[in-house]
Amino acid sequence: MVSIKFLASILTYSIGLCGLLPLFPWLTSAPRLALLLGLAVGLWQDFKGNWPFKTWMQNGAIVPVFLYYAIQFSRANPVQPVVSILAIMLAVRLAGEKTVRHSLQIQALSLFCLASSSLFDLSPIFLLYLGLMLFLVAIALVLLTFQDQENSMLLPKRDLRKVLIAGGLMPLLSLPLLLFFFPILPRTQMPLWNFLSSPTVRTSGYSDKVEPGVQPNAGESRALAFRAEMGRQTPQRLYWRGSVFNTMQGNRWVRADGVPPEVPVFSGPKVDQLIYPELSVSRVMIGLDRPTEISLNRLKRSPDGVFEYSGSLNKHLNYRASSAPDGLVAVKGAINKPFYTKLPVDISPRITGLAAEIVKAVNTDREKIDLLENYFRNGGYRYSMTGLPTGPDALEQFLFIRKQGHCEFFASAFAVLLRSAGVPCRLVGGFKGGNYSELGGYYLVSDDMAHVWVEAYIEGNGWQRIDPSSFAANAGEVWNDKKSRSLILRMKLTLDYLNYEWNRSVIVYDFEQQFEYARKAGKRLQGINPANILRNIFPYVLAIALLIALLFVVRRTSLFNRREERILKRFLRKVEKEHGISVERGELGLFEIAERADNQRVSEFSGIYAGALYRDRRLTDDEYRRLQQILREGF
Amino acid sequence: MSLTARNQVFTNMLETLSRDYLQGKEDVLRLSAIALLTGGHILIEDLPGLGKTTVALALAGITGLSFGRVQCTSDLLPSDITGLSIFNRDDGRFSFQHGPIFNNIVLLDEINRAMPRTQSAMLEAMEERRVTVEGVTHHLPEPFMVFATQNPSDQSGTFPLPESQLDRFLICTDIGYPEEILEKQIIAGGGIRERISEMMPLVTREEILAARRDVQSVYLSAKVLDYIYLLVSATRTDDLIQTGLSTRAAINLAQASKASAYLAGRDYVAPDDVKNMFQAVCAHRLVLRSEMSAIDRGGVLRTIASRIPLPLV
Repeated sequence: MVSIKFLASILTYSIGLCGLLPLFPWLTSAPRLALLLGLAVGLWQDFKGNWPFKTWMQNGAIVPVFLYYAIQFSRANPVQPVVSILAIMLAVRLAGEKTVRHSLQIQALSLFCLASSSLFDLSPIFLLYLGLMLFLVAIALVLLTFQDQENSMLLPKRDLRKVLIAGGLMPLLSLPLLLFFFPILPRTQMPLWNFLSSPTVRTSGYSDKVEPGVQPNAGESRALAFRAEMGRQTPQRLYWRGSVFNTMQGNRWVRADGVPPEVPVFSGPKVDQLIYPELSVSRVMIGLDRPTEISLNRLKRSPDGVFEYSGSLNKHLNYRASSAPDGLVAVKGAINKPFYTKLPVDISPRITGLAAEIVKAVNTDREKIDLLENYFRNGGYRYSMTGLPTGPDALEQFLFIRKQGHCEFFASAFAVLLRSAGVPCRLVGGFKGGNYSELGGYYLVSDDMAHVWVEAYIEGNGWQRIDPSSFAANAGEVWNDKKSRSLILRMKLTLDYLNYEWNRSVIVYDFEQQFEYARKAGKRLQGINPANILRNIFPYVLAIALLIALLFVVRRTSLFNRREERILKRFLRKVEKEHGISVERGELGLFEIAERADNQRVSEFSGIYAGALYRDRRLTDDEYRRLQQILREGF
Repeated sequence: MSLTARNQVFTNMLETLSRDYLQGKEDVLRLSAIALLTGGHILIEDLPGLGKTTVALALAGITGLSFGRVQCTSDLLPSDITGLSIFNRDDGRFSFQHGPIFNNIVLLDEINRAMPRTQSAMLEAMEERRVTVEGVTHHLPEPFMVFATQNPSDQSGTFPLPESQLDRFLICTDIGYPEEILEKQIIAGGGIRERISEMMPLVTREEILAARRDVQSVYLSAKVLDYIYLLVSATRTDDLIQTGLSTRAAINLAQASKASAYLAGRDYVAPDDVKNMFQAVCAHRLVLRSEMSAIDRGGVLRTIASRIPLPLV
């Protein structure tokens, strides 16, 4: 035997937790404190079994709190006061005695709290809380109706199971409705209130300039940058192109307007990707280096393979990209060599001197690049995120003194040396690497994978991707594969996959888009030769027909006895109504009924119905119509 | 001529009998007709003087079949029924003299007065439809039907039929007293034996044999078969009953149901037919537990039948 009241109060607390847990992180400290206090007081009182805090005290206590937050409410600050008062009301109810009335209030307040948490955050965990709450509320409602009848009711274990099953089935019944409403109800892609301060909007990551030597230490944010749905690639190919920096100004590399025109020629197989960037302030659309095409509206394409989006950044985007991933892009005709070899006038002569020293023996671009690479490889340069050179001569310090830096130093220094040696080159900013989720079939790229590398133009070949960071003495340690197999990473990838599916199928679900697809499909259908369609779908139609025939044979009686069953029910009801022959089903035979009713039409019905039934056949359509007619006209 | 048209002959016959000759005996007449149509035998169990013999005579009269009668007594010998060989002095050899059993309808009056030895000889002939006397087998005529009557066994000087013998009767029924008005009419009109002897046959032997074939072809659906099986098997597990119904009982129930359906003008058996025939066909075959023997067997069967729903879908 289980006490209903005990069960109901456990459920009430659980429902309260479902409401307050998701909201808790977004509350200010006063309501937070109130919630903790209320929960503690409630549990203590329930445990002791007496309630010194009377309801009128609680209700009285809410009034000043309500007034306080009502004053706070303004157009500039509409949400916090409302959420706070909701949380405090929930806290007060949790603190008091759990009567049926109060339990229902707690359920409603919890639901409001959970709903208001979605003003701040749209994480998939919301669904978990919502599902749990609906389930618990359904059971609690059943139990509360019992409690309402008799406060101290006890329930045998067996009946309890029935109650649990009934309560559990109720939310399931709403599932078909859910399927119906999901596609048509409007939704937001962002938390309505919190999107400005939302951590999902990134400001970090790669930037619109490369400026080594600003900070002694580089921060690393592990926030997600984007996901790319595609097949698995070799690590050498995993360079994600963002922006190109083609001009050096003082110590900085920037992207100058007026990119010189050039005509890239892509060869070799393409890699297609479906990219889901996180919300960001950057307008540069990422693609696997080097993207040949990105299919997105309002996109500005530059000849150096940079794609800038000019639409709104306030919603989640997704786009298809096609890439030539080999790291070498031929160019038809010539490039603007002076543009890509220009250096600032105040460049350190020490650096230009170094470049001249290294490449003095050779003439071709290819050889110059090889020599510079050798210089980096053998120069004892180390990749590091700390202890970076700073100041206006940071590059010089990096090359000659500190000899440690991150990708920006390596890429800048290498590019400066290349340009000094007369080799056209530019810096490419983007990402390197990515964690592949086997589950979702996509690469997960986070901000800490932001990277800068160099593209050098080799006469006759084209733009060659060179990653100077990989020349560092410790490059192998920095970009090894080991970490990709760690358990934590795998768990992270799995969690991310859930989040990804949530984003893809719920948050950015676009009814218009689905509708558009359907419309396009319909259009395409119109242009198809019917004979072709027939040939294509014939096997399916045949298979379905066979399946139905099989079902018909196997389940004939159970599937198709409905008509007889229905009409018999109507007959028995009518006989009872008109002749007062009230019998249990099967107590009297059809002819016995007819004899008792002593009515021509009842006899006729019995004769037709039994004639089919006891000859082991079904009613023919004519017979069925006649029976219906008899029933309609009455006896 | 369709089956439903051919059964008109029999419904006419039953109507004429119950209207003109045997008022108030529709049930027993109908059961007799059913026994005739299935080739079974009928046992009528009731007090003397309620018209048992008259029913048998009337049935014989209206069908134009030959009629034999055996009045059973305790000194009745088997050969009194079957016949015996008698030495014919003119021919100088034995010739077989047919007994009363060599008739189409044989009335065995007060069968429980005969000695068990005679009873069993008669019942064997009923079952086998032939008689073997002194090594020679004589076939009984077709159709052959025994119309046995018995007094309730608590009457003195009777040898109750054992259950195994009772099982050979397709139907066992009582007649009961007629209703008041009918009985007064009967009393006023006196006996009808004379009128019966002047009765004109309405049914021919050929029609009976054809009707028997028709009855055999009445359709018995799987649903009704299930119902019969459920009824029979329920008697085997009932607490009041020591020995449930045999397979022969089930066969007979199905046959009687077919004949009942035929008389109702149908070419298929409805569960109603089975339910209606259940008591008449099966009650006398039940062996109740010894401490329950005072209970009415028909009532036991009605209780069982009420527990099993008729198949309606």
